[in-house]
Formats: sequence, structure tokens, C-alpha cells
Amino acid sequence: MISLSTGSVRHKSGAAIGQATRSPGRRILMGGGAVEVDEALSSLVADSGDRLLRVAYQLTHERAAAQDLVQEAILRVYGSIRRRHHSPDDLYAYLRRAVLNEFLRTRRLRSSTELVTDSMPATTVVGVEEAVVDRAALWGRLAELSERQRAVLVLRHYERLTDSEIAEVLGCRQSTVRSLAMRGLVALRSAVVFEEERE
Amino acid sequence: MNDDDIAAVMAEHEHEAPNADDLLTGLRSRRRRHGWWYAAAAALLVIGVLSGVWAVVSGGKPTAKRLAVTSPPVVVAPLSCPTKYAGPTPWVPAKPRGVSGNSRLAPNETPKSVLMCAYKGSNSGDYSVSHWALAGKRYVTGNLAGLADELAWQPRKVLGEDYVCGAVGGIQTNYLIGLTYSRGTIWVSASDEPNHCVGGTNGEFIALPSTGVDATKAFTTGRWPDRAPISCRPDAGRLGQDIAMVPPGAVSLTICTDRAHTIKSDFGKLVSALNSRPTDLGRGVCSPSPKTDDEYQLIFGYRQGPPVSINVYKGCFPEVYNGTLKAEKAGSAIPIIRQLLGRH
Repeated sequence: MISLSTGSVRHKSGAAIGQATRSPGRRILMGGGAVEVDEALSSLVADSGDRLLRVAYQLTHERAAAQDLVQEAILRVYGSIRRRHHSPDDLYAYLRRAVLNEFLRTRRLRSSTELVTDSMPATTVVGVEEAVVDRAALWGRLAELSERQRAVLVLRHYERLTDSEIAEVLGCRQSTVRSLAMRGLVALRSAVVFEEERE
Repeated sequence: MNDDDIAAVMAEHEHEAPNADDLLTGLRSRRRRHGWWYAAAAALLVIGVLSGVWAVVSGGKPTAKRLAVTSPPVVVAPLSCPTKYAGPTPWVPAKPRGVSGNSRLAPNETPKSVLMCAYKGSNSGDYSVSHWALAGKRYVTGNLAGLADELAWQPRKVLGEDYVCGAVGGIQTNYLIGLTYSRGTIWVSASDEPNHCVGGTNGEFIALPSTGVDATKAFTTGRWPDRAPISCRPDAGRLGQDIAMVPPGAVSLTICTDRAHTIKSDFGKLVSALNSRPTDLGRGVCSPSPKTDDEYQLIFGYRQGPPVSINVYKGCFPEVYNGTLKAEKAGSAIPIIRQLLGRH
């Protein structure tokens, strides 16, 4: 979240973000070389923007929320890079972690009653058409999982990370990751019955 | 269900994500938004210096021609939260400055920044003005376009008309939403309270109550919530419903009976039928409440702004009511609704 403080425009984390506009010629290290700050912001977006937005969309299921999430994460990372004059080796992984952190942080603040999804359809599925309906239900049910369960499943099934990598991203133990994934899958299975399971 | 199914479902929805072009535009505007008052201050400084130089060069006597060329700069002072909510609800600390507040609750454009001030209290007991002290403030930075879209299309509350209100006691939070644009500022009030009876105002325009819950969400998260999809439930309505039963520009129709029937086209005849009936301002409480099969809620959706919701009850008085306007008889509207449902 961006907030104004006395006398300067600062990121909540403390990184001044208005300075780049006032001194556009300042050079910083980025991706191993020195680049202009505005160019740096553009290259962050060009290199990782689409991929981050897709991950954020998997987490939020809302286009506007995904965009807000990635914007916030990029501004945080951008500020951090400017402060330290150095970018991490794997910039995408760093940004993805920022997106996850921002997602978990902001969603904690939201009302638990805010997300309302359609109720599940009847599960007497016999045909291809209804299997498609069930996939739609699965997508809806994913949105109803807890934020941490959803984050684990997105990292595991969309980003194809191992449990140890997920644990590192989320800053928790592997056993916690396994537990979150298991509970998430149980919740999904209890609600969604696929055709192949009935055969 | 197996792991591949989850991966497949996620992949199926991948294309729905926004793309990086939108992101870069948003980031640039956000950086500009955060730095706007530096730019304004710098611009004022430059203008001041140039004016001084010009005055010296011209001998301190600017001609009429020169005055006409140098129009005064727009000075938009940053908004700050008043320490008290110093008036009966709905209240704002100042009238709109530099922007129009007569015809809408807020301009139909995305503001550059949004400051929210919260004043917490109760709607019961002695809740005199002094009780509404500032409880918190924050900047809302997410979905400002959605906020503008919501506020700009709020329905006008017609003065002198009474509305049915509950009397449930409970927590009430009054919000002041300070919107800053390049040419001015506007305060909008919104109240989140148990009876959903307190409307919003900008000091010139008074709206029907509807934005209080969204204001609480925005104050909690820093992001104005997305509009909920159209559903069969009462809705506050839309700007223009005090002039026409169906305000112009409807792009969809949902007819609620025992379920929702969504109709995307060919409802023009129904709009004409509803808008051709003689109407009057006033409450639309059905009295007496008859048993009838012709009982519908019509929800007309729009590209911008909230939908308008119209109750049609054959045999009631009035038979048609949109939350502000009522029509005694539905006339040809009911056969057209039946026809649309039959075709649907």
C-alpha cells in the first residue's frame, strides 16, 4: 500500500518511489548491468509481467485484483532494488514471492464474507458436457479455499514447484506445505466428482 | 479428480489474466499519481518565477492582452481528514471545488487519488455531533476506476420523498471520501449502518443509500471492491431513475421469477412499454398484497454504473416501481415480459 508521509512520497516499506520521477537520469544496477530507472521499471514488467499476472490471477480469480497485486509487488521490488543498487539473481522468483506475500497480506485483511461464489451443481455427472460443468465448479471451488491452501496449490500445480521450493517461497516448513495441500485437495474432492471417478 | 485435473483447470483460465501492457500503464499512472503534488508544486514555482520576471521586464504593468494569455494556474490543495464529522448525516466538510457536483455524486472519471476518513459510532442513544471523532484514515489505491464508476452513477434521492427505513440500533461508521482530480476536489460521504437508510452526498447532490458497505471494504483493504454480478436481490438503483422508469443505455435484462432469466437482446419493446406509462415520484409499497403469478423483478444492466431494478406486481398499487418512480398500471409490459420468458 502506498501512503503519503510528511515531506516526501514513500512506499510503506520506506522506499521512496517518487524520486525516480524527479531524477530520471539516475542509474542503478539491474540484471547485471547499469540501466536507467524508468527503463528498469519497464524491463521488470516486460520480462516478468505477463507471467506474474497469470500467477496472480490464479490466486485471486479477479483481473483487477491480480493487476493490483502485481503492481504492488513490482513497486515494492523496484523500491528495494533502487535502495540496494542490486537486483537478485532470479528476479522472477523474487517478484513471485512478493506477489505471494502481498496476496497473503492483503487477503488477511479482507472480510471472510466478501467472496461469494455460486453453489456447486449436482454431481450426477455422466457426459462430457457435464464434465466441463464440473471443471467450472472446480475453478469456483478453488476460489473458496483458504488463501494459503490456494497459494500452495497454485505454486504446485501451476508453477510446478516442489514442496521444498514452495516452503521457501511461503517461509514455512515442508510439512506445512504438505498439510495445506492435502487439506485443499480434500476440500476440492469433497465437492467435485469427476466422470472418471464414477467409471 | 487428480492433480492433472487441477493443473488443467488452471491452464484453462490462464488466458483470462490481464496482460503486461495494461500493467505498465497502471504502474506509470500510479507513479505519477503519487508524485503529482511535487509536480504541481514545481509547476507553481516555475510559474511564479516566470511571472516575476515578466512583471520586471514589462515594467510591472501587464497589458490586457498579456493577462488574457496567462490564465491562472489550477491550484489543487491536498485534502486532509477533518477531526470531526461535524454535521448530521449525510455531511461533507466542503462543497465541490473545481469539479461539478450538481448532476452526479462524483465526476464520471477516475480520480488521481482517494483519501478515506472513518468516523465510528452508533446510530442509537445520544450520537450527537461531538461523538463522531476521526477514527482512522487511509488512501485507497486499488480499482479507482471502479470507485468512480460506482459513485458517478448513484441514483439521486428526491428531496421531500420519504423512504421506508428500519430502526435497528447498532454500529454506524460514517466515511468521508476525498477525491482529487487534476482540476479540483470533491468530498463524498457514505455511511455503513444497520438500516441502509443514510444516503450519500457531495454537498450538492444527495444519493440514495448504497455505498456504505463498499466503503467499509475499501477502507479495510485499500481497494474499492468490484461490482457484484447482477443477481435477483434488491438494488439501490442508478442515476436517472427519477426521470425515466428505465434510464437510457440498458444493455441487458434479467427477469427474476423463481429464478433469473438473462436476456441480452430484443427487450427494447419492454423498455418502451415501461417508459411510456405515466409515472409519479413516491413509494412503491404494494397494498394490499395480492396473490398473483405476474410478479417480477426486472433488472436492467448497463455498460457503466449499477443496474436499475424494477418491481412489476400485477394487481398492486402501484404495479411498477423502480425505487424512485412508480406507475399505477403496468399496461402492455406484462404481456411483453411473458413473451420474453416464453422465448427464453
